[in-house]
Amino acid sequence: METTQTASKGAEALLNLSPGSSISVAYHPVFGPHDDLVLLELDEKLLPDVLNERVVLRGQPDEDAVLCTPSKTYAMKFVGTSNSVLLVPPANQSESYQNPLENDGNHDDEKAVAPVIKLVPGYMELVEVAPRLDKLKSLLLQNPYRLEEYDVENFEENQESGSGLYNWNDLINNIQASDEELRSGLQTLSAVEINGYWRLVHESYMNMILEMLLRNSVLNDWPLDALNEDEVVSLLESDGFPGVLARHCLHVYGTKQDDSMHSSVWKLDKRRVCVHFAREILRGGKRKLENFMDEWRQKTPDEMEPTFDIVEGEVLTEKIGVETWVRAFSVSSLPSTPAERFSILFRERQKWEWKDLQPYIRDLNVPGLSAEGLLLKYTRRTQPSSDSEPVFSAR
Amino acid sequence: MQIRIRCNCGETTCEEWGIVELQGVVEPQPGFHLSLQNLHIGTLCRPSSSPPQEVYTFTVGYHELTGSKVPLKKPMLVLKKIKQQQDDGEIEVELRVVGIIRNKILFKTRPKALISSKPPVLSLYFTFL
Repeated sequence: METTQTASKGAEALLNLSPGSSISVAYHPVFGPHDDLVLLELDEKLLPDVLNERVVLRGQPDEDAVLCTPSKTYAMKFVGTSNSVLLVPPANQSESYQNPLENDGNHDDEKAVAPVIKLVPGYMELVEVAPRLDKLKSLLLQNPYRLEEYDVENFEENQESGSGLYNWNDLINNIQASDEELRSGLQTLSAVEINGYWRLVHESYMNMILEMLLRNSVLNDWPLDALNEDEVVSLLESDGFPGVLARHCLHVYGTKQDDSMHSSVWKLDKRRVCVHFAREILRGGKRKLENFMDEWRQKTPDEMEPTFDIVEGEVLTEKIGVETWVRAFSVSSLPSTPAERFSILFRERQKWEWKDLQPYIRDLNVPGLSAEGLLLKYTRRTQPSSDSEPVFSAR
Repeated sequence: MQIRIRCNCGETTCEEWGIVELQGVVEPQPGFHLSLQNLHIGTLCRPSSSPPQEVYTFTVGYHELTGSKVPLKKPMLVLKKIKQQQDDGEIEVELRVVGIIRNKILFKTRPKALISSKPPVLSLYFTFL
């Protein structure tokens, strides 16, 4: 009896109506607005993530919530409908909403009923978006790790006040990105976890460590493509640098080679080391190209021989009279949303040639929009003659 | 801030909810507005000579609609917002998956007026948009 009763009610009865039969569609005993019930449309491929509780909504009260799977971020958009959409719960769930009228055991109730619990005004739809990582940088810049901090007293003070310090939980509560995207964002920013907090290390401090590491390599004849982690770290520690930062220096400027026996071996990355010193030189302002190149060659290790193509996306050149000048303009300092990025680029220069523009937009990531699409949307392309290079200006 | 989406049902047992969708508005007659609960809206009927693509009729008041069961292009989850008071007095919000919708019974045609010698006691009427 129990089963036939259940089968004659609710969504099951509605969806499994056999040919030649009918069902009464009626307002549910607790019919109402039920604003706590919402519909979420999603791709079949996302179902396992949701059903296995790997999905979370992230956002501050003043932000539009995003839905994050372990690896991707989705904006949630409400799609309204003018149709009447009658929502019918399954029978057992109907019963969990108390139903005073059905308690009567002698109720003459042989007719099947599909109870409508609410009229649905629309549903939430998911649109894949780029993670919102610009905020991550501004949070971590509030309190970068400086040389002075490696003084125990200062450190404890800082820990207690906790101002501008963010641990992983603080970050996922503040940043609209999936775990994977957040981790990769931290890596791109060269952030490091120190005593449980994710920190950026102040550039002048990083410079000191890198210079010391290079000096040690020269003194000890260490090959820059095969640095022994244990040796490097213990020598830097004896020079007064914290071990965690010595290791961080290898992560930022090097690539781990095969783990050999007991200690890891690192190869310094030519591009990252050269870019570091180019930034360091231009921190004081623009320089004549020749002066810049001289000082750059002098600062970088001999075997690296920096060439100008390495600083694509890091510096801009301009002609002043007969001279060429170089100044810092790093893609990593620009916002990651296309509209803001292009607006800053065209404020910097009204017209861009493709070879100059490309390094400043190649990292833009807009799901569903190709590089061509980005250019069409945000730039005007002109070509003075058929054999000349195209030039891009603001729309 | 984070809101977790919880799910008690697991992948295999997520219960299916149903949707009946019409291109019009079902309105109660004056006098019934405050007592909609349990009120009969209409009769959904699946004729016996149904072709494979399931055909349905839906009779609301004097109107009959013809429609069919259509699978949704993408599934929809039914989420229920649950507020729970934590031990520290904070209110925590979570969303719980209470069901899934994969099909709807859709009526998108103009209604046909029914002529009946013995009109039913009408509590609802139907407006086609």
